[in-house]
Amino acid sequence: MIAGSPVIDFHGHVGRWDSVGMVDDADEMLRQMDAVGIDRACVFHIFHPDGRLGNEITTQFVHRHPDRFIGFAYVSPLMAETDVIAELERALDNGMAAIKIYPPYTPCPLNHAAWDPIFGFADSRELVLISHTDDGDFSKPEDLGRAARRFPRARFVSGHSGNVEPARSHAIGEAKRHPNFYLETCSTYRQPGVIERLVREVGADRVLFGSDQPLMDPRAQLGKIITADLDDEEKRLVMGGNALRLLQLSDRLD
Amino acid sequence: MDRHGVDEALVYPIQGEAISTIDGNEQQRKWIEEGDGRLRPLWMASSHPDSLSQLRDLHASGELSAVRLHDTQSVKLPFTRWLYGDLLEFLQAHELPLWLSLADGDAREIVASLEHYPELISVLCGAHYTHAALVAPMLRALPRAHLELSRYEVANCGVEWLAREFGPRRLLYGSFFPRYAMGPMLFYLYQLDLNEAQRELICVGNARRLLQQPPGSSP
Repeated sequence: MIAGSPVIDFHGHVGRWDSVGMVDDADEMLRQMDAVGIDRACVFHIFHPDGRLGNEITTQFVHRHPDRFIGFAYVSPLMAETDVIAELERALDNGMAAIKIYPPYTPCPLNHAAWDPIFGFADSRELVLISHTDDGDFSKPEDLGRAARRFPRARFVSGHSGNVEPARSHAIGEAKRHPNFYLETCSTYRQPGVIERLVREVGADRVLFGSDQPLMDPRAQLGKIITADLDDEEKRLVMGGNALRLLQLSDRLD
Repeated sequence: MDRHGVDEALVYPIQGEAISTIDGNEQQRKWIEEGDGRLRPLWMASSHPDSLSQLRDLHASGELSAVRLHDTQSVKLPFTRWLYGDLLEFLQAHELPLWLSLADGDAREIVASLEHYPELISVLCGAHYTHAALVAPMLRALPRAHLELSRYEVANCGVEWLAREFGPRRLLYGSFFPRYAMGPMLFYLYQLDLNEAQRELICVGNARRLLQQPPGSSP
């Protein structure tokens, strides 16, 4: 909590990525979260192509600290369509709250029809789906925007808000076009005024704080929001209020 | 700077990264002279012979306190002794610290070259999470190397661990402004499990020591 407002990190990982020093040590993650007032972190495991194994690891990770971590289910077109649906149903039954996709780890760009079963599932359940977005061909914000138009009951979150230009501007454009399109903030590209721009252009109620922990230290990523030139209410929404609403969480996080 | 409580900044001319350190330094000198004294020059250096001549003149006039190497990868030059040896010799002889970009340089070349100048003080800057596997080994291999932190927000074996492993005297706050926002990294340093003395070294004391500024000097 910061000044009585919940703080929810919308972008975190389970799993190791050794070459960049990423280790999913829950105790260390919680120490860093506690140091800066982050109440909960949404986590997902994107390193197992079949989805199920990573989701199982995520479920176990979350179950050790159910009051602090929220699991998202990872699925991909590398799975058979029937397996995707079954895995998503299983993951939701296990308490996972949303869907994570990572197109660069698949052969299918976001505009490929192979993603439709996943988008359709999110639409039918009115779920939140967060996708990695960047300036590459596989993760274009414009393609996620097309999905937002075609599947209007799902809520699409542009991970990293496109990360760099021109993808960032495209993500902002898609959020302006589609009311079910949201922007998430984690990125190592911390240009001056970038958080302020996201809020000014699409509204504070459509921007979500994320850190990418434990790839990056959430204290530094939250610093982008804290030090941004936003008013207190805007910061409350970005830091946690929007995540509470999207994930239909109670505002009592204790 | 005023919004985030930054008193002084060491700045270098972007033109010097890949075009001309000579012209960049000259333009920056005029720009800084027109300021209020809170910006201090980080003079750029390249492999061109005129660059070292310029640095020698600056040293002779008492203006030279720190140097940043141009981006060797951008200009497609190897950072080797046979190309940069005279510069490194000069800097070591005069106890002048050298800033080098990890983001725009080659870690193997940096270590291989600097190992031959054991008294040379260096500052590795621009390290990112993609350099996480390199940072600690480089600080071990180069005992007089420091790490500038503007992009270093690594969660595991991050700044707190580096401060324990190598001591806070080898870490320096940097913002990378205006490419990066100035506030987040400073905020981050104040959230870390560091005591005030450690934080003071990282945010102020180490820079003053490297730049040979007396404690309590301006502003």
